[in-house]
Amino acid sequence: MGVIGKRVAYYPGCSLEGAARSYDVSTRIVARELGLELDYLEDYNCCGAMESKNVTFMGTMLLNARNMSLARKQGHSVIVAPCNGCSFSLQRAEYFLETDKAVFDKVNALLREGGVDALDQIPQTYHILEWFYHEAGPHKVREKTRKPLRGLKVANYYGCLYTRPHFYARTYAHAGGQEEGVRPRRRETADDDEHPYYMNALLEAAGATSVEFEPMHTQCCGGPHSLSDEMVSEKFVMMILQTAKRNGADIIATECPLCHASLEMYRHRLMMKGVPDVDVPAAYFTQLLGLAFGYGANDVKLKDNLSDPLPVLRRLGLA
Amino acid sequence: MAIHERSLVEPERILRKERLVVDGVDISGDWNLIILPRVINDYDLDFAKEIVNSPDGKTINQCYQCSYCTASCPVHNYWDERYNPRHFIYLARLGMIDELQKRADVMWRCVSCHKCTHRCPKGVLVEEVLKVILRTMAKKGLIDEYPSKKFDKFFTESVLEYGRIEDGELLFGWIEKQGYKVFKDPILKKPIPFIGETPEWLKQLTIKPLKSMNIDFLVLNAKHMLFHPKTKNWSKFKQVLRRVMQEEGALH
Repeated sequence: MGVIGKRVAYYPGCSLEGAARSYDVSTRIVARELGLELDYLEDYNCCGAMESKNVTFMGTMLLNARNMSLARKQGHSVIVAPCNGCSFSLQRAEYFLETDKAVFDKVNALLREGGVDALDQIPQTYHILEWFYHEAGPHKVREKTRKPLRGLKVANYYGCLYTRPHFYARTYAHAGGQEEGVRPRRRETADDDEHPYYMNALLEAAGATSVEFEPMHTQCCGGPHSLSDEMVSEKFVMMILQTAKRNGADIIATECPLCHASLEMYRHRLMMKGVPDVDVPAAYFTQLLGLAFGYGANDVKLKDNLSDPLPVLRRLGLA
Repeated sequence: MAIHERSLVEPERILRKERLVVDGVDISGDWNLIILPRVINDYDLDFAKEIVNSPDGKTINQCYQCSYCTASCPVHNYWDERYNPRHFIYLARLGMIDELQKRADVMWRCVSCHKCTHRCPKGVLVEEVLKVILRTMAKKGLIDEYPSKKFDKFFTESVLEYGRIEDGELLFGWIEKQGYKVFKDPILKKPIPFIGETPEWLKQLTIKPLKSMNIDFLVLNAKHMLFHPKTKNWSKFKQVLRRVMQEEGALH
């Protein structure tokens, strides 16, 4: 443990400054409690998420390279992103910049032209969950817990892009077919690729109980199509919520603002349609950790969650 | 007799006969189902070349058609059997454009969950390759407008303009594109919820923070909707970005 660094560049992403404010606030609380330091990436831009990459390849590389360049300017070689989409985009750019020399040179030339410093080194991007687990870990969470989440049954929802694809997230050692030089290596801090457990471990250390949630813990929520392809997203979210409910979960813990928004939006729509067993509320795992560390419901902005987890938490005496 | 991947065979090519006699031998019973042969006489080999030459599509040639991608695909398994990544890669490599066009209504359905890329034993970036196939088809005018492309462009234009995105703008802008009449204030031309025409679920969701008296949340989001969050020092970078996107043919 302790291989990523206690002080890192923090790339919150657009969502966390608006609708997912609660995730940002609670993340800062948890980081402070665990003795870690987030250095806000000044003047960042959107990573392009899952949408821009379908329209333009080079444009998306540039968007992410600009953020990397800003992180280098602030003296960091590690970026931490709390959003699956953002960490995916940055890791994707990292992969192409590392493996394709032509892309790297072109991006650097364009960065200089756009008034940003060229990249002297490519910073590594980690998901915030990986960072928490490796820099603080369950024992530190246990140490800091003042109000254990006793009796709370949590379904840990990781979403797609936290462990996938292994080319970008570096969760798996083997990548057949690729040439030796460009074959990605497993990162020693990476989570298990098919059975991620970091969130389970952290929340269990805080006193919660994880329910059986495979294989829905990494099932897609509709993601980039949650607005453009409503039927498919609705079905996927229904499968996730029903599995959680039928496995006895009180709450779904999320770690991505996109998944969270998608779950909450379709939960409401499914309930309007009268679909059974979909009324599990969702909360960010940092909110739950914040509660365990003794913060109040208003400190971690539980009111912001449209799925309203407050009644469940009140019933268990946790908020 | 079962046909493997039956969804790939057109119904008119499957023949079922009550009695079948071939060369004087009666083979009725189990052997009465026939798939008529397929003749391919128009294919475009330049199509695959274009995909191979793009930096994110070059792994397409490593594919050995094991169908691991299709087996793990949630759209294939839970939504539509006709969505078959392995088959799309096969068709693209052969350059069978007309067969791809027949599947245009499902081809855009990829939800970018990356199970295919993750599990590919040959290291094909399947998700990226599928998006490159779609992008190439759209560039050549071989496929009509599809919903996800509309949304992707809408999103990218917002990023290009401001450097950041804003959830309210995306949500209401998309609803407006779907044909709802969104009310906009006359000065800033920004959508105002509650007044115009909005779907019922969205109305209920926007009213929730009001009901729970979550005032600072409402104020923050209203502020963002009226004054779009922007990246400073963006204008010079924006010009470079726009030029790059124009070179790729992404802006029209």
